[in-house]
Amino acid sequence: MGIMDYFKPVDTWSPDKVRQFLNEKGPQEYNLIDVRTPKEYEEGHLPGARLIPVGELETRWKELDRNKPTITY
Amino acid sequence: MRSRAAAAVLSREGFKEAYSMEGGISAWEGLRAAGPPEAGMAYFDPAHTLEELIALAWMLEEGACKFYREMGSKDKHEEAAALFRELSDDEEKHQSSLFKIYQRRAGKDADPGFPRSLLSLESGVDYLEGGIVLNKALEWAQGKELKDLLDFSISLEVNAIDLYIKMERRAEGKKAKEVFKALSNQERNHLKRLTAGL
Repeated sequence: MGIMDYFKPVDTWSPDKVRQFLNEKGPQEYNLIDVRTPKEYEEGHLPGARLIPVGELETRWKELDRNKPTITY
Repeated sequence: MRSRAAAAVLSREGFKEAYSMEGGISAWEGLRAAGPPEAGMAYFDPAHTLEELIALAWMLEEGACKFYREMGSKDKHEEAAALFRELSDDEEKHQSSLFKIYQRRAGKDADPGFPRSLLSLESGVDYLEGGIVLNKALEWAQGKELKDLLDFSISLEVNAIDLYIKMERRAEGKKAKEVFKALSNQERNHLKRLTAGL
């Protein structure tokens, strides 16, 4: 038994995969979440990304439809 | 790193498809991302006993304690050294809260090999959240900018909060629930302080 028996990997997508996905889908079909700080967000973010800093996600996930595919960065 | 921890939070809350974009905004812009120590930032499998999770949390606190202590001793990031040292001291206190709750629950059956024998892990290797080997994280941290260290530390804290929330939900006793709630609150405070440094 190893330490990884206690963890499961988080699913990740490459930027190319994300780009392709965003091109194919309409903005109402997914959640795209920028989890950085407001300052980082203002300096530049992905088109249509919604800012929810990671520390606020614990309460603010309720603002999102959890049945939609959700991409975080 | 933050976004993997964020995706783990969403999974916990029932999002069936939560994906973290590899490499973050710099990879999106075609730049090479400052690579984290391992690809493994992750959430734990819930099919374990509460005692095992307490042992796991204890070990992760130990790893975090050592990581922060090392960060707090770097001359290079003087502005954050005091913060890292305080976090290190706090994680050490968390270890003793966890050990107390373990002893209280296990009573006479407490395993003298706590925490490793409960997890069937050999001694000698320290781990961070996500199963990252401490020494690999320390190697990675060499020469990194403070921003990268803070980002990594934030992801540790988000994962720690995640673990304590799951443990609080799992625990049946009032006392245990209170302890896990207090621990997640303290990690939330760490998260705020680290985020303020970005």
